[in-house]
Amino acid sequence: MNAVRGKILIADDDPTVRIVLTKLFEKSGFEVIAAQNGKEAVERLTSDILAVILDLDMPEMNGIGCLRYIRQHMEDISPIMLTANEDISSAVEAMRSGAFDYITKPFNPRKLTALVDKAIATDAQARRLHQVEAELAHAREHEIEMAARIQQTLLMGAPPRNFKGLEIANATIPSHKVDGDFYDFIAVDSQHLDVIVGDVMGKGIASALMGAATKSYFMHVIHESGCAACHSNAYPEPDAIVSGVHAAMIHQMEALETFVTLCYARFDMALRQMRFVDCGHMRTIHYRCQTGDCTLLEGVNMPLGFPETVPFTLHTESFAPGDIFFFYSDGLTEAMTAEGQLFGEERLTALVPKYAAVPPDQIIHRIWKDIVAFSGSETFRDDFTCVVVKITPFRLIPSDSHRAVSAPSEKHGEFSMKFSSDLSELSRIRHFVRDGCIAVFPQLLNEDRISMIELAVTEVVTNIIRHAYGGVSDKPIEISIGFENNALMIEFLDQGKSFDPDRAPPPKFDGSREGGFGLYIISHIADDVVYEKRQNNTNRTLLKIYPGHGPDSDPDV
Amino acid sequence: MEMFSETDGDVVVAVVLADELDADNAKWFKSKMSDIIGNNRKFVLDMGQVRFVDSSGCGALLSALRQISAAGGDLKLANVQKSVQSMFELVRLHRIVEMFDTREAAVKSFG
Repeated sequence: MNAVRGKILIADDDPTVRIVLTKLFEKSGFEVIAAQNGKEAVERLTSDILAVILDLDMPEMNGIGCLRYIRQHMEDISPIMLTANEDISSAVEAMRSGAFDYITKPFNPRKLTALVDKAIATDAQARRLHQVEAELAHAREHEIEMAARIQQTLLMGAPPRNFKGLEIANATIPSHKVDGDFYDFIAVDSQHLDVIVGDVMGKGIASALMGAATKSYFMHVIHESGCAACHSNAYPEPDAIVSGVHAAMIHQMEALETFVTLCYARFDMALRQMRFVDCGHMRTIHYRCQTGDCTLLEGVNMPLGFPETVPFTLHTESFAPGDIFFFYSDGLTEAMTAEGQLFGEERLTALVPKYAAVPPDQIIHRIWKDIVAFSGSETFRDDFTCVVVKITPFRLIPSDSHRAVSAPSEKHGEFSMKFSSDLSELSRIRHFVRDGCIAVFPQLLNEDRISMIELAVTEVVTNIIRHAYGGVSDKPIEISIGFENNALMIEFLDQGKSFDPDRAPPPKFDGSREGGFGLYIISHIADDVVYEKRQNNTNRTLLKIYPGHGPDSDPDV
Repeated sequence: MEMFSETDGDVVVAVVLADELDADNAKWFKSKMSDIIGNNRKFVLDMGQVRFVDSSGCGALLSALRQISAAGGDLKLANVQKSVQSMFELVRLHRIVEMFDTREAAVKSFG
């Protein structure tokens, strides 16, 4: 028996039938495995079996049970069922459960072998089809993977680490058909950060490449104007940059019949404002910490790729500590339920204030989870792309903490700021302190009280510059603002000579001496003042202010 | 920061064109005031634009007051903002220098 055509499995509890079938198929060139019941058939099933013949009525596991097992585990095998004449309803059920066909006993041997040949041919075809499908799926996967890789490496820039005054998080989750979403960050200098978010119309590799091209045009224009800026000392504004990119790309985009929506935003830390050019992009959400409200920022410009776009209009939006800017792609608002209901701008806008207190990456994560819960799926039709820029808030120190008031200086950057020992810093310091006080005690401090606190801080810093540092500039003064036990804490750290308040002369109120008022002012505005020398030659001055009190009045004198 | 001055009869009226008078510009302010005062005896300082004065700024004002007093004249302040007024009260400058709501009232007070 050379040239075996393959294995065939038969199962029948009737030994006579088993012998007949074995003989029949061995003659046709098959190797036959004969089982006495469904259970044995299942046990002897191997992946190289080409065809299966099952008796419907068997002990242990009947034909239907065995059939279902096989269909479930070997989808490319369609068993043929043997039935008794009176058992037509079971035969129909078997067909429904995935049998190739059925044949009634007593059977015609030629008919049965023909049926087996047909089943083997059909199954082989199904196998090939599955294989092709798998290859196609693999190829598609490969394309998505490629596009996703383009997206991650070319389209999505990384925000600068530790840009002072801003906390930034970004995320992109590719959909099954990759979009041309892109974003990038450019730290112009220590006071200016540019954020570009955009979306190319269309999907797939073509739009991913277009997105990459747009990004590289931005880099090109910025680089060129940046070089020019070295001479003119003026970095171009967002509208000029977008105009440059538009001029460079318009012909290609018209030829490709595509367009790009984008928002080019510049965060200006010195002026505390964001200047942006919006070209038909999703409306950026601006959450204001002080009021808890959101504004949707919308430009009037057409997307890039429309010839009538020039000139681009620049908008200005001022911001304060704790504010959040939420940039996103349509993948968020156009996520939908199985019934086709869109998530929408309104729902998204409501989520930003809800999560405003958590760190930016958590804001994104929670919004993503909410959208997943809404749409009932973890995969969206469009890319999920968003960038969160939070203006570093002045955080409160937990009031029940045992870390005492030294905490702010140990946790850098969040509510403390370094200044240099120069009198020209005073104005900036007052701004910092004013913002900090408003952030810490938004309702409790009135304008009068804040002016007084600004005054006390000015006096402390002036003393540090004049006396601790002896007028030498460029030395560090670190100021931290915090909250503890209902008191506003303002801490000053310097590295100069330590100060003994007892040796300072008292002020004269008759106008005979100009100086000496600083300490008097400080002690009358703050409820408590602590001077101490710490390790590493650091001096610490601490002002404690209870917002309920007014400044000391002095009815005497 | 700039200063602007004009005369109204025999009264010199100077306007501080700065938002803040602090340790950073007090020295400049002091010498500028000294120049403007010269030998004048009747002097009005319009502080309408100033929203912040620290002890150095007060010191500069006291210095100007001394210079004028030494020549037998007087310095009066006009348009002092509320936050600055609080500061003056804290260091009791309001007991030494007379303040008026308007420039005209200050000029008129010299009689």
